[in-house]
Amino acid sequence: MTHVVTGNCRGCRYTDCVASCPVSCFHANEVRVYINPAVCIDCSACIPACPVGAIVEEFDLPEAERHWLDINAREVERNPVLSSRMAPLPGADARRRELGF
Amino acid sequence: MSTHSSETLVVRGACPQDCPDTCAFLYHVEDGKLVEVTGDPDHPMTRGGLCVKLKNFAEHHYNPDRLLYPMKRVGPKGSGMFERITWDEALATIKSKWTDIIAQYGTQAIMPHAYLGHQGTLNGLTAGDAFFNRLGSTVAEKTYCESGSSTAWIMTVGPTGGMDVESLAVSKYIIVWGMNMLNTNLHGWPFVLKAKAAGAKVVVIDPVRTRTAKQADWHIRIKPGTDAALALGMMNVIISENLYDHDYVEKYTLGFDQLKARAAEFPPERVSDITGIPVVDILTLAREYAGTQRSAIRQGVAVERCPGGGDAVRAITCLPALTGAWRYPGGGTIEMPIWEFPFKFDFMCRPDWIPPGTRVINELDLGAALTGAMPLDPPIKSLFVYNSNPVSQAPGASTIVEGLLREDLFMVCSELFITDTAKYADILLPATMQAEQLDIMVTWGHLYMHLNQPAIAPPGECVPNVELFRRLAKTMGFSDEHWDLDDWEMLRRSYDWDAPQMKGITLEALKDKGWMRLDVGLPGERAPHATGDFKTPSGKCEFASSLAGGGNFVVPVWRSGYEAMQPGTPVDPVPNYIPPAETTVPEGASAFPISLVSPKPHAFLNTQYANEPTQQRRQGEQIIVIHPVDAGPRSIEHGSYVRVFNERGAFEARAEVSEDVAPGLMMTNVGHWPGLNRSGTAVNSTTSTRHCNLGQAGTYSDNRVDVQRV
Repeated sequence: MTHVVTGNCRGCRYTDCVASCPVSCFHANEVRVYINPAVCIDCSACIPACPVGAIVEEFDLPEAERHWLDINAREVERNPVLSSRMAPLPGADARRRELGF
Repeated sequence: MSTHSSETLVVRGACPQDCPDTCAFLYHVEDGKLVEVTGDPDHPMTRGGLCVKLKNFAEHHYNPDRLLYPMKRVGPKGSGMFERITWDEALATIKSKWTDIIAQYGTQAIMPHAYLGHQGTLNGLTAGDAFFNRLGSTVAEKTYCESGSSTAWIMTVGPTGGMDVESLAVSKYIIVWGMNMLNTNLHGWPFVLKAKAAGAKVVVIDPVRTRTAKQADWHIRIKPGTDAALALGMMNVIISENLYDHDYVEKYTLGFDQLKARAAEFPPERVSDITGIPVVDILTLAREYAGTQRSAIRQGVAVERCPGGGDAVRAITCLPALTGAWRYPGGGTIEMPIWEFPFKFDFMCRPDWIPPGTRVINELDLGAALTGAMPLDPPIKSLFVYNSNPVSQAPGASTIVEGLLREDLFMVCSELFITDTAKYADILLPATMQAEQLDIMVTWGHLYMHLNQPAIAPPGECVPNVELFRRLAKTMGFSDEHWDLDDWEMLRRSYDWDAPQMKGITLEALKDKGWMRLDVGLPGERAPHATGDFKTPSGKCEFASSLAGGGNFVVPVWRSGYEAMQPGTPVDPVPNYIPPAETTVPEGASAFPISLVSPKPHAFLNTQYANEPTQQRRQGEQIIVIHPVDAGPRSIEHGSYVRVFNERGAFEARAEVSEDVAPGLMMTNVGHWPGLNRSGTAVNSTTSTRHCNLGQAGTYSDNRVDVQRV
């Protein structure tokens, strides 16, 4: 069991999720964040925090989005832990509107 | 109450569960329906997030299996066949049965059975105490959890709140001892992370490589039940290397010479043999702990769950006085800060109503008490169960079931669902859930007082426990003023609102704010024992306990306020290492080669929520974690179904082969409903009913078993 960050995060990287996480399980690169499945404790505090609805509990993932499980698990090995909020990426608000949020 | 949109009403509440975090809730109600329960974002512990266990809490209130009306049994005992009756019929039946039992056997033939299925002031641990004390029933000792630690804590430092969990944020060295905080104290973890970010070292002492252990800087793997030896070994190093705080010891402790003599019996080499921890690690731990000020020990309840568990908690609780850690904010130890709250247990429990000479039966001995294995005069002829589920949670489950099947036992159960225990009842009574009732939540993990206000109407004919006992009292003809008090008046009388720590806290203010912090020092500043002020008879931290002379005792809150009829077995004034009865028996000397520990589940709260399909998906089925060296010779593979057994019973589970456990150790979790498991049983079919050396606590972690593939 874990939660995963799906495609909507790319280009926004609001990181409100990071501030809500009690266990510091987010890792980040230049364009988005990922959840470390070995650290996530399934509390879901991050789900409502995300302005673009990018975070999904593992068993709510539609079949077409299952690949995000592997991507999150892989990318946390390559990218550092992000333990406090960063400024959103430039253009985040425009992308958010484009995504319909 | 407030509205944040035209349709949604937001009501302040608090989590009902037996967990140290006691989260502040916001109930979201639309058209009289509870649509969502969220964490209060302004609460310093809750921080807007609940936990995996509470994720579907609103929906839980509408679970179609909820017990909504009183029922009577219409099939054989345990068949689960019930028929709806009225409250009047249920109460009349109870009165008639009890009147007959009392006439023939006396009031002590009736025994209540309760624990912390709810953690409220009105509806929780002590909800039925006043009623059963007034009735003159057997006093039930409720020692499922924490009682051994409570006795140990009181003997060593007295009823003090100790360190504040929020002050972990300013600690420089944190030992999490016997607790998987990420599962069971989640909202305390952000303070550990904050300390870690500021350079603190985090050490986890646990037999299992838990989620929490994996996040620590250092995981020390210890054999279950040997914690006292490690604490005494640390003292051995700290004293022999002169790393202790002479000034603090001299001014604020009692019995140093005796403790020194005891610690001298535990050189690192011996401790290494006992605990399985390398000598170098024992030395490093002792030196780092004593050499770093602002050092904190977060004690978990797991430490008490073995025959020497009480002395382990005493030994660990001695450490911060030895090193002077109490001098600083962020220094000391956290056990259970509940002692800061000014309860009026004399009102809540009414121990003055207990007839002199009334006997005490420990709830963990329920099976023996019901089956005649424990000689009783009079025998137990009626059992009243509320806030608890012994068939799942008590040790020796198969004997309990045998007792509950007795045709001559009249059993009443107040419940939310027809649990593995409730299905044996003759009369079932429907209880409310948290969004449907008023209460002040008792908390044992932080220093905030929370008011839970009802957000929705109770469904069907459910009543809060406090109302249940009012109805029973009237039914039994009790005319005391106590039974005429409404909920608000009972809350008013349950606390000393004029106590200094209650400065600014009133029921009116709680109605508005939902929660308020006790005035006992701020997070990061609180240092309650910087200059002694321990709540012991001597006012000092008692390495040699002056209470030991009275023998073993259970703190009265766990026994309806009753002071008399304590176990009284001899207690060494100075903590010692008392070996487990099963775990450390040498290989070959036991028919059962593997030790089994059974900590709490991740997605259930004990058995609560374990009947919710969404939570079952999150938790998964009953598993055991087994080391490859134990799995291999038994042809057990990852995913194999296995039978775990000993002379007491058996259960089946799916195996996970992993080095998270040591060779010779397996882990499963308590909480899966036995009736929903493959074998119809769960881990407590294998656990022993032996008691911990202090406070009559359970010894669930001292359990030898074998395992085979099925």
